[in-house]
Amino acid sequence: MRFLVVDDSSTMRRIIINTLQKIGHQDCVEAANGREGVERLAQGAVDMIITDWNMPEMSGVEFVRAVRAMDSHAHVPVLMVTTNAAKDDIVEALRAGVNNYVVKPFTPDVIKEKIDAVLAR
Amino acid sequence: MNPETVQHLRRATTEVFETMVFRELSGGDPIEGEALRSGSNVVGTVGFAGSACGLVAFYSTLDTARDIAGAMLGLPPTEVNGEVADAIGEITNMVAGSFRTRMAADGDAWAISVPTVTIGSDFFIKPMTNGRRVLLPFRMGAQEIFVELIVTKSRDTTSGEGTS
Repeated sequence: MRFLVVDDSSTMRRIIINTLQKIGHQDCVEAANGREGVERLAQGAVDMIITDWNMPEMSGVEFVRAVRAMDSHAHVPVLMVTTNAAKDDIVEALRAGVNNYVVKPFTPDVIKEKIDAVLAR
Repeated sequence: MNPETVQHLRRATTEVFETMVFRELSGGDPIEGEALRSGSNVVGTVGFAGSACGLVAFYSTLDTARDIAGAMLGLPPTEVNGEVADAIGEITNMVAGSFRTRMAADGDAWAISVPTVTIGSDFFIKPMTNGRRVLLPFRMGAQEIFVELIVTKSRDTTSGEGTS
């Protein structure tokens, strides 16, 4: 199973990829913002996307809207990992097409739980 | 500064450190006004705007910042180099984001900026308008870190003194 991790912080990408690897997902590719994420998806399919919200060039919500407009990835599960935790933020993300939501700071258990929940749908 | 606001910032900081840095912090008494932070040469800032405007700033020494980055990445501090600025930016972003969420529960809706990190020596942030500031000192083992809230425009919930 291949994951695409999109975050402008290289530290957060490394933390998320370390977490994914600890729970058995070794195949991860990464991008530093939504625009790079779209380019990465054009290079090949992924099975799940984990994206930040606040990023330069193309935000996480704009990225998710772009993904949902792509024939190749319109239905790929998307998990958003962000500090934006207000109710209105979550509603906006879900409307854009996010499948599940993790609020930073997070523990590895929370990431695993949310991934499992998305994959079980 | 409203004590509840200060408490929100304190809880946001300790939660981020316990969850993402795997370190427990012990907090000292908040210092109101223009406090000095000796030896702080790594500064992360995140601005916010909405019902109040201002910024959240994080301060530490370079050695402490390296220790924090190493803990986040699972690396020994001696192997941390280029990752310091990004890691401190992410810490500041998470503290400000968690603080924003807690303030939103009290009715304060803010947007926050992407983080900025400066590395140098003994910075002092001077807002260009009159602002209220409170500095929270923390100990992380033998090391010291500081988180500061600077409010340049506020309503009662942050200032405790009405809209300015």
